[in-house]
This record gives sequence, structure tokens and C-alpha cells, in this order.
Amino acid sequence: MKHHENVTSGGAVLWLFQRITGVYLAVVLFAHVWLLHYLIGLKPGYSGELAYRLIAERVATPLWKTIDISFLVVALFHGLYGLWIVLEDYIHWGWARIFLYSAISVVAIVALVLGILTILPFQAGGF
Amino acid sequence: MRALQRYRIHLGTGAWILHRLAGLALILYLITHIWVIHHLIGGQKSFDNIMEFFNNPLFKALEVGLVGVIFYHLWNGLRVTLVDMGVMVERQKTLFAAAVVVWLVTWGVVAYAMLTRVGGLLSAVERLGGGGLS
Repeated sequence: MKHHENVTSGGAVLWLFQRITGVYLAVVLFAHVWLLHYLIGLKPGYSGELAYRLIAERVATPLWKTIDISFLVVALFHGLYGLWIVLEDYIHWGWARIFLYSAISVVAIVALVLGILTILPFQAGGF
Repeated sequence: MRALQRYRIHLGTGAWILHRLAGLALILYLITHIWVIHHLIGGQKSFDNIMEFFNNPLFKALEVGLVGVIFYHLWNGLRVTLVDMGVMVERQKTLFAAAVVVWLVTWGVVAYAMLTRVGGLLSAVERLGGGGLS
């Protein structure tokens, strides 16, 4: 296929990783949406204080912290590595590539920190 | 035969371009989503304020579109992964057709649920129009 043409050995590992993370994201995204927007989100009166309390209670559990952080890390990697693959096809000038690579890395770090700062503070009984 | 072959190539290329466009839309959504949800840190009021901004027919309609984009990227990605693994390589046309059908059915089912639920797009439009039917 067209997008496999310039695969180097390092690229091949990342390309395989992109497939594996894709499957992982499909499964966790299903659980994420089913739980948040169906099982919890459709509860009568789900808004305001109740909504905030239910979210905070869920995020306070270590299991959900782990799942949410892994979801965050994997989604950002899959998405931003994918973005890099696309841009690489159209941008050939050296400095432009370095700039884009840096910009994507900065976005990755900022989004990762912001996401982790959202997930970590919630503690059972303390919000 | 030649025409058929060209048709198949176009179909595959089209699917590949759509996959990239869907991916670009999804990374934009993901970054926005992380930023929106980070308002949880500021407490319930700050979270409610940002969620209220998205509580209108425009964003509810965009969310239905988002589900279509996600399902396209998901099912087409799975199709490409299966072919890469050597599954159904001899029957790629069948696999392609199956992916399109599964995409449209899953999108349709979820879109229907989103449109008709309480607080969904239809009730949001009704509310906007003065609450007519409900």
C-alpha cells in the first residue's frame, strides 16, 4: 500500500505500534463512551452537582486513574505520531521538519501534563 | 477489467485520504477535549460553565458528526490492520464492503440514540424553538 513505501526498520516498529495502539484505543474508547455517556450519563438528573460528584468519585479510584492515564498517553501518541506521518509526506525542507517535529513534541507534552493534572488530584472523599 | 482495477485503486486511495483527514480531525478534537475536561480541576462551577458553552444544537450536531468520523477511522483502521496481518487478502473487496456497512450501521445506531435521548439534539432544537412538542 502507498503509505508503506518508505518504511525504515525504526519506522516499521512504530508502524506496528500504531496498529496495536489503534486496537487498544478502539476497545478503551468503547468502554469510555459506554460508561460515561450511557451507564452514567443517562442517569436521571445527570448534570451539575451530581454529574461532578459521579465524575470525581470515578476518577478517584486507582483503577480508573490507571485506565484514564493509559488512555491519555496512548491516544496522544497514536494521534500525534499519525499527524507526524501525514506532515512528513508533504514537508520536505529540513528546518520546516525540525520546527514541526518540535511543535508536535511541545503539544504532546503540554496536553499530557494538562491531562495528568486533571486526572491525578481526585482522591476518594476529598473533593 | 482495466476499468475495474482503476476503480479499485481509486477506492483504496479515497479510503486512505479519508483516513488521514479523519485522523487530523480527531487529533484536533482530542486536544480540545483534554483542554475542556481540564476545567474539572477548577471545581464544579468552572466545569459547568465550560460544559454549558457546548450545550447547544450546533455542538450536539457536531458531536453526531464526530461519532461518524471516529467510526470511520476505527473500522477503516481495523480493515487496513487485518489486510496487513494477511487476513482476507484474497477477499479485500468483501472486507471493504463489510467495513463500509459496519461503519454506517454503527454510526446510524449511535446517532439515533444521540438524537432522540433527553437533552439530545432533537430536544435541544425544540427548546430553542420555544419547547413546542414537549
